[in-house]
Amino acid sequence: MVLDKLGNSLKKSIRKIAGSGRIDEEAVDELTRDIQRSLLKSDVDVKLVKNLTDQIKERALEKKPKGANPREHVVKIVYEELVKIVGEGGAPPIESQDILLLGLQGSGKTTTASKLANYFKNKGMKVGLICGDTYRPGAYEQLKTLSQKVAIPFYGEEEADDVVSVIKNGLETLNDQEIRIIDTAGRHSLEEELIKEMKEIEKTVSPENKYLVIDASIGKGVKEQAKSFEKAVGIDGVIITKIDGTAKGGGALTAVSETNTKIAFLGTGEKPEEFEEFDPEGFISRLLGMGDLEKLIQRAEERLEEDEMDMEAMMKGDLTLKDVYKQLESINKLGPLNKVMNMLPMGGAQLPDDAMDVTKEKMEKYKIIMDSMTSEELENPNIIGDSRIQRIVKGSGTNREDVKELLEYHKMMKKLMKQMRGRRGPMEKMMKKFKR
Amino acid sequence: MFEKLRNKIRGFESDVEEKTKKKASLGEKAKKFVKERKVILEEEDLEKPLSELKLGLVESDVDYDVAEKIIEEVKEELVGKEIKWRKDVGEIVEKALKDALLKIFDFQFNFDSYIQSKEKPINILFVGTNGVGKTTTIAKVSKYLMENNYSTVLACGDTFRAGATKQISEHGESLDTKVIKHEKGGDPAAVIYDAVEFAEANNKDVVLGDTAGRMHTDINLMDQIKKIKRVTNPDLVIFVDEAVAGSDAVERAKEFHKAVNIDAVVLTKIDADVSGGSAISITYEVQKPIIFVGTGQTYSDLKKFDSEWFVNQLFKE
Ligand SMILES: Nc1nc2c(ncn2[C@@H]2O[C@H](COP(=O)(O)OP(=O)(O)OP(=O)(O)O)[C@@H](O)[C@H]2O)c(=O)[nH]1
Ligand SMILES: Nc1nc2c(ncn2[C@@H]2O[C@H](COP(=O)(O)OP(=O)(O)OP(=O)(O)O)[C@@H](O)[C@H]2O)c(=O)[nH]1
Ligand SMILES: [Mg+2]
Ligand SMILES: [Mg+2]
Repeated sequence: MVLDKLGNSLKKSIRKIAGSGRIDEEAVDELTRDIQRSLLKSDVDVKLVKNLTDQIKERALEKKPKGANPREHVVKIVYEELVKIVGEGGAPPIESQDILLLGLQGSGKTTTASKLANYFKNKGMKVGLICGDTYRPGAYEQLKTLSQKVAIPFYGEEEADDVVSVIKNGLETLNDQEIRIIDTAGRHSLEEELIKEMKEIEKTVSPENKYLVIDASIGKGVKEQAKSFEKAVGIDGVIITKIDGTAKGGGALTAVSETNTKIAFLGTGEKPEEFEEFDPEGFISRLLGMGDLEKLIQRAEERLEEDEMDMEAMMKGDLTLKDVYKQLESINKLGPLNKVMNMLPMGGAQLPDDAMDVTKEKMEKYKIIMDSMTSEELENPNIIGDSRIQRIVKGSGTNREDVKELLEYHKMMKKLMKQMRGRRGPMEKMMKKFKR
Repeated sequence: MFEKLRNKIRGFESDVEEKTKKKASLGEKAKKFVKERKVILEEEDLEKPLSELKLGLVESDVDYDVAEKIIEEVKEELVGKEIKWRKDVGEIVEKALKDALLKIFDFQFNFDSYIQSKEKPINILFVGTNGVGKTTTIAKVSKYLMENNYSTVLACGDTFRAGATKQISEHGESLDTKVIKHEKGGDPAAVIYDAVEFAEANNKDVVLGDTAGRMHTDINLMDQIKKIKRVTNPDLVIFVDEAVAGSDAVERAKEFHKAVNIDAVVLTKIDADVSGGSAISITYEVQKPIIFVGTGQTYSDLKKFDSEWFVNQLFKE
């Protein structure tokens, strides 16, 4: 099951192990080198990577249990060892509690505070938000606006300096809320005054949960930061933000291992609802450069009506322009094309840049052009020659280049779909989901 | 900063020294009549130490692929080199790496003379991913320019994020400079356009255009920033990123460069106990100069980026 999601080069080296019928050292070496590379590219700590791959190597070369095939054996080890570090999800129980959000400047604490409040509210809890940032210009306004957006009671003092007293007042005012979430100013390990202030806040609130909010793109510095936050106040869990970019979030592993905690949530965008409970499997695929299949399926299920996205057509080698039309419509609903493609199990296969560049405006234009085509042309674009192009240009009010571009786009997608057809397993699974 | 990398470099030097020493002594045994103890560095002597050095760069947040390319250059420089053992191995290695790094940072652009010579008003657009420090940097740059007797106008082109207008307005108040803003949800290009018109009408020198943070993967927002650039026609596009970022810095620099063609880079938060590698990766990727670094949260925490200093830090005892 996990194998379906492995990145391309990893897959190849695992296949080698399978091919030889036994587990030889060279094949395992190659596999661990591939894993090392993927993890280092994902900002996982070098030492952590070394320990992990040593462990994988050692276990892979041990005698495998009778009956298990070598490939399954090795894949299982890789996955298990990674889960050991990543850990299971650590979302907090749905019960009364105070939560303190801490972290570096700009990591996403304030945004996360409103997301978290929204999360608990949707679980039926009474939640309040407190602005514990008296430094950053506009911090009060920011959280206040966000709290209004998610309809959560808010406490803050616009002109205050003494953050501890603001928080005290906030806790009192919001005393009848079951959950109180306190946003704090950004700070780092070398800002002594701010670290001291954080300790005082911690003493005042004695929160049930203190979350370290970290940006998915954070580099190796995360180690010192996590260590010093842990030392100053003790951390209970990690929240990774901005996972909607290309950053893999490998720094979170370091944070988790330094603070001996788990990853609780992921931030997947700027909007309040773009927030997810942490799921180790999806995260591991991301680290290793594999597609985040489950996420895409989930999102597709949420946003698409049944049979709106005809995956079968997408995968057909003889993709017609009609299919392209449908594709553009579905993709429009799922999000930007490259976001979608990131989630597909293409095993790091590169999508041509042109395919990524299809903007909303362009999609609209393509659709207008297709509206001026005959059914026959849509089914069989090969027949579109110069004179047909001229007619389509007139009918759609576009120009030759646009029509040609669309035809090129169709060709490219056709090729791409053919390539993807080769990678059956997970796509089949996905198609089934879509067809249900 | 840089400690790990520094240790690796030390380790590297002694490692190569070790290898070449052995070689020399073998050679000596074979041919006692050799007068000059010279050794030629070969690829295999360098393989292990260079791979360690690559890890050292990666550990300092240099992107993996960029580290690989730098090490490749160092290797090309070193393989086949004739060295007198013991005496100058360290020096040669150090120089090869230093040269490779300095080459990355070799630019002619000078911000001060640009501002001085360019026709006013100068329109500068700031772009970057979420929360890296764009707005704060604009406030700092405004202060820097004002101290050098230029007048500024701040344009609140972030019409999206909660509190963004308030944030830049407070900066404008503290710095005592004009802020142009529109309603929330308005067209960012229009705000910046207005700011330029205001500067023209009021003889202001520099317009500093703020934009909302955006992920380089968000096609619609990347389209928007292209449009902002098209409409407002900035003289300089500055890409802001944070030094705490790891290898993703390369990816986003690349995407922003592709979208709006950046002219220069500001690297923030270098006060946050960082390794500094993102400076190397970003510059390597987009081949544009870093003009300033952010060194804290107050207005004066803005320093000119000095590449000699930066590279020398890596090699300091
Ligand atoms: N794309 C994306 N942007 C996010 C996410 N979480 C936060 N942001 C954005 O990141 C930027 C910084 O977020 P804030 O919530 O202000 O960060 P903060 O940690 O409170 O910042 P300080 O209070 O200054 O330390 C804003 O532009 C947010 O909209 C996320 O999951 N995805
Ligand atoms: N320590 C430190 N903090 C900084 C530096 N530059 C900015 N910050 C802090 O980083 C946080 C985010 O800064 P902003 O200027 O709001 O970032 P932004 O890029 O405009 O954020 P968005 O508009 O939300 O995308 C704030 O808390 C700043 O005080 C720096 O050089 N050092
Ligand atoms: Mg905040
Ligand atoms: Mg901003």
